[in-house]
Amino acid sequence: MIYFGKKGQLHMTETIAVMFIFFVLIMFAMIFYYKYQQVAFKEKQEELLGARAMDKTLKALFLPELLCTKGEAESEDNCFDLMKLRHANETFTKYLTNYYFSVFSYARISVLQLYPEQKEFLLYDKPKPDAVSGEKTYFVVILKDEIVGNSLPQYNFGYVMVEVYS
Amino acid sequence: MIFSIDYKKGQMEMIGLVIIVILITLGMLFMAIFALKADPEKKIFTRKGLAYSTMSALMKTTISETDCVSGYSGSDKPQFGKDIVEDCAANFDEKPGGYSQYRCSGVHSCVFFEMKTTQLLNMTLGAWHKNYEFHSQLVRASETKPVVLLDVKGGSGCAKKDRDSSGLFPIQAGDAGLIENVLYLCD
Repeated sequence: MIYFGKKGQLHMTETIAVMFIFFVLIMFAMIFYYKYQQVAFKEKQEELLGARAMDKTLKALFLPELLCTKGEAESEDNCFDLMKLRHANETFTKYLTNYYFSVFSYARISVLQLYPEQKEFLLYDKPKPDAVSGEKTYFVVILKDEIVGNSLPQYNFGYVMVEVYS
Repeated sequence: MIFSIDYKKGQMEMIGLVIIVILITLGMLFMAIFALKADPEKKIFTRKGLAYSTMSALMKTTISETDCVSGYSGSDKPQFGKDIVEDCAANFDEKPGGYSQYRCSGVHSCVFFEMKTTQLLNMTLGAWHKNYEFHSQLVRASETKPVVLLDVKGGSGCAKKDRDSSGLFPIQAGDAGLIENVLYLCD
């Protein structure tokens, strides 16, 4: 009789131990899933911000206000006209609230010339007051200067930097 | 009776084992899904676009050094891809101290090609902490193996698996052959 009681107790302890381990495993799985969700949410946010930055960069790259044109021919790829660029800031500032804010929202767009000499052209700057972070996207562009060359225009090397805020 | 209890116990243990196997399989499946998750399209697009735009800009850049052609007083300056790289291909065998039509900064066009490419890529992709590889080769009609004009690596370079290319930027260098330029970009 005593023997059977002890055997029953042993079984009970075994079952409790198994249940305990099972719940510990479930708990681990839940903690892991929670942590994963946190990271996934952050990643998704970053991805969305990156996509927004990319979208704004593309819009900036194809702005007729900046693009290099060749009369009626197709515009040149990844090229900004320096003649337009030198005065673009005035236009961007003048129509910031009326037009450009609906295109670029809260962002900072600047073009940096690296070669032959370093120069910066700030095109658009509308910082978000409560911005937590920003995402920068870069694109290498060529800057066409038709004033310098005699028969051929001069192409300078630079890049466009678009920063969006979250 | 004893046999029946033992049989049932065995069955239950089997069920337990099956559940464990199912759980482990599910766990591994989830891990595989997360591990093999493809790169977001945006990242790939950005990399490809950046590689293309960098290469295109580099090849189109006008060289502003004034001493490229001695005795020439015109105001038109050589273009990096069309003039300097082409000249490097035409006079590759004379490198580094021999003849070349353009001698920007007083050096052979191949040396200048390497200098300028390294400098401009360093100022852009290098400054943005991107790993890249620039490769330029000359395909001659008389030789089966292409001649390497320039190899520039930024950061740790790129493994063949996870990289995006600017695509081939071919330049016909007259009798010298065909120059193939390519830029690989990876994170």
